[in-house]
Amino acid sequence: MRLLLVGISHRTAPIELRERVDFHARGLATALEALAGRGSTREAVVLSTCNRSEVYAACGDVERARRDVADFMTSYHGIDRALVAPHLFEATDLEAARHLFRVASGLDSLVMGEPQILGQVKEAHAAATGVRAAGPMLNRLFQTSFTAGKRVRTETGLGSGAVSVGFAAVALARKIFGSLKGRNVLVIGAGEMGKLTALHMKSQGVERVMIVSRSMAHAARTAEAIGGALAAPWEELNAVLGSSDIVITATGAAAPVVTRAQLQAVMRPRWNRPLFIIDIGMPRDVEAAAGDIEQVFLYNIDDLQATVQENMALRAGEIAEAERIVGEEVDRFGAWFRSLDAIPTVVALRRRFESIRQAELDRLDFKLSALGPDGRARVDEVTRLLVEKLLLTPTEQLKALRDAATVGQYAEALGRLFNLSQAGTGSAGEPATEDDRAATPEGRVEPFARRKNRGPL
Amino acid sequence: MNAAPLAFYLAALVAYAWHFAKRHAPAGTAATTLLAAGVLSHTFVIGMQTMEAGHVPFAGTTAAISTFVWLLAIAYLYTEITTSERAMGTFILPLLAGLQFIPALRPGAEERSEILQGPLFGLHVSSLLFAYASFALACVIGITYVLLFKEIKAKHLGFFYARLPSLQVLDSMNHRAIVIGWIFLTIGMVAGVVWTGQVRAYEALDPRIANISLADPKIFVALICWAVYSFEVFAARRIGWGGRRAAYLSVAGFVIVLLNFVPISYFLTTSHNF
Repeated sequence: MRLLLVGISHRTAPIELRERVDFHARGLATALEALAGRGSTREAVVLSTCNRSEVYAACGDVERARRDVADFMTSYHGIDRALVAPHLFEATDLEAARHLFRVASGLDSLVMGEPQILGQVKEAHAAATGVRAAGPMLNRLFQTSFTAGKRVRTETGLGSGAVSVGFAAVALARKIFGSLKGRNVLVIGAGEMGKLTALHMKSQGVERVMIVSRSMAHAARTAEAIGGALAAPWEELNAVLGSSDIVITATGAAAPVVTRAQLQAVMRPRWNRPLFIIDIGMPRDVEAAAGDIEQVFLYNIDDLQATVQENMALRAGEIAEAERIVGEEVDRFGAWFRSLDAIPTVVALRRRFESIRQAELDRLDFKLSALGPDGRARVDEVTRLLVEKLLLTPTEQLKALRDAATVGQYAEALGRLFNLSQAGTGSAGEPATEDDRAATPEGRVEPFARRKNRGPL
Repeated sequence: MNAAPLAFYLAALVAYAWHFAKRHAPAGTAATTLLAAGVLSHTFVIGMQTMEAGHVPFAGTTAAISTFVWLLAIAYLYTEITTSERAMGTFILPLLAGLQFIPALRPGAEERSEILQGPLFGLHVSSLLFAYASFALACVIGITYVLLFKEIKAKHLGFFYARLPSLQVLDSMNHRAIVIGWIFLTIGMVAGVVWTGQVRAYEALDPRIANISLADPKIFVALICWAVYSFEVFAARRIGWGGRRAAYLSVAGFVIVLLNFVPISYFLTTSHNF
C-alpha cells in the first residue's frame, strides 16, 4: 500500500484560490464520502484550514490515485481544473508523511510555530475516523503526526513568544500582572490602533476599559465600538490614570500628553502599584523619562516591535531542532511503513510452512493414532512452535529491510527457494488481502502477529 | 547519614538547572522526584536521630541547620506543588545543597543539655527554624523578582522572561512567605524570652544562661531581623515599597538571618550556643 498527498497551501496558491478549494463549507464527511465513492483510494483524510486544503490517502495504485484525487479537488468544488492544477503539490510515501509532520508541528504554517494547526490536524483525523475513511495506514500516520507536533511544542521554542504587536502587549501585561482579570485599562486617544489593542486586552477578561479623548464624543464612539467600555472627559485624565493598571496611548498629538511629573504625582497615591504603559502614538505620547519611575513599565511601538522581532528570531533559531524531531518521527513511521512491503512475503512463507506442517501431520495421522487426545495436542503444539521459531528470524529480517527494491529481491529469492507461488499469494509488491493481516483492536496493522486459538488435531 | 539527602539535593539541583535552562519537561519531573526523594531520606535521617537521642535533633547548630534544610525543602516542595511553578527550584536548591554540606561533613548527634528540655524550648527552636525557611523562600522569590523586573524594565525580554512567573505572582508569593515567616519569628522569639525567664533558676548549672542578654550577638542580630521583617510586613507597602524594594528587603533580611545562623552561631556567640 502506498501513501499519497495532494494539496494546495499558502505556499503554492493565493487566498482567492484557497478559498475556493475549502472543504469545510460542505463538511469534511461529505467530501470524504465523495472521495471514497470514486474508488481510487482505500483510506483518506482531508485537512482543510484557511491556509491549506490537503488530501492524504492510502492507495494501491499511486498513479491512478494521484490523477483522481487532483481531479476530485477541482470537480468537487466545480472549479476548472486548469485553474488549480499549477498550484497543486503532491508527495508520496515518506515525503507525504514528512509534510504532514511538518504541518502538525507548525513548521509549514504562515506564522511559524502557531499552535492552532495541531488541533486542526486532529479534527481532520477525527472527521475521517467518524465516517470510517481512515484505516490502519492513516491512523498510524496521523497518530505519529500528533506525537511529532506535541514533541516540537514541548521540546523546542518554536511556538514560544508573541509574534504580533497586539499579542506582545498582552503577553507583557500578563508577565507584569499575572492574570488580567480585574485589571483596569485606560485608552488615551480614540484612534484605531488604541481600539485594537484595547480589544486584545478585553479578550483577556479585564475589569474595565476606559476611553479618554480630547473630544468626549469621539471617546464615547470608541467606547461603544469596543463594547462595554466607558468614556471619560479629558479633564479627568489624572484621576483615571491613578486607578488604571494598563494604559494605552495613541493620540497623534504633537507633544507628549503624559509627562514624567504627571505620572510621578499619580504613582504616589496608588502606593506604587505597577503601571504598564503602551505608547503606540507617533510621535510618542508619553515622555520617555517616565519609564525611569519605579513600577512604571513604559513600552512604545518600537519596543514592542523589537520584542516581536526577537521572538521571530528565536522561533527561527528553533527550526533546526524542530526539523530534527520531525526527521526522527519520519524514521519511526518509515520503519513501520516499510515493514508493510514485506507482509505478503511473510504471509506466503507462513502459509507455506503451515501447509507443510499440516501435510506431515496428515501423513503421520495413522502412526499418531496410538496417542491419546492429549498426546496429539502436544505434537500439534510442538510442531507449531517449531515452525514459529524457524520463521522468527526471517520475519524480523524482512521487517528490517530499508527499501522496497531490496524487499522485492528478498521476496523473489524466498519465492523461488520455497516455491511460494504455490502458496496462493501474490508477489511481494502487491498488497495483501485484509484477512492476511492480523488487525489489532486499535486498527493498527500488526503484520507479524502470531496466530492464536488453533484447535488440536 | 546526612550524606544521602545531600546526594539527592545535589542531583535535584542539576536536574532543576537543566530544566530551567533547557525547559525540558522530563528534567523537571526528575528534579521534583529527586527533591522528594531527598526530603524522604532526610526525614528518615532526622527520624533515626530522634530515635537515637530521644528528642528531635535541633539543639546544636549543626543539627539545627540540618532541620532547617529539611523544613525549607518541605516548604519549597509544598510551594511548587500548590503553584505548579518549578522555576524557583533552581534558586532554592543551591541553598539547600550548600547548607546540607555542613551536617554531612560534621556527623553525629550533639549532646543536649538537661535544661534544653520542655515544650517551650521546642517551640522556640522549631518556630525559628520554620521562620528561617520561610525567609529563605522569600529571599529566593525576591531574587527572581529582581531578575525579571530588570529584564522587563530594560525591555530586553529574554532568559528569565521566558521562564519565570509574573511579577505580580512573585510579589504576592514573597509577601506571603514574609508574613508567615514573621509570625513564626515572633512566636519563636517570645517563646525564647519566656523560656529564658523559666531557666534563670538554673544559672548555676550552665553559665551560658547567665550570659543570655541583648548584648549577645545572636540575640541582637535576631532582633535586627525582626525589625527588618516587621518593617516589610507592616510599613513597606504603605510607603510604596512594594515590588522591587520589597524584594530587596527580603534578600537583605535573609542575608542577616544566614549570617546569624552560620558564622555567628559557630564563632561569635557566647551565651546562645547550646
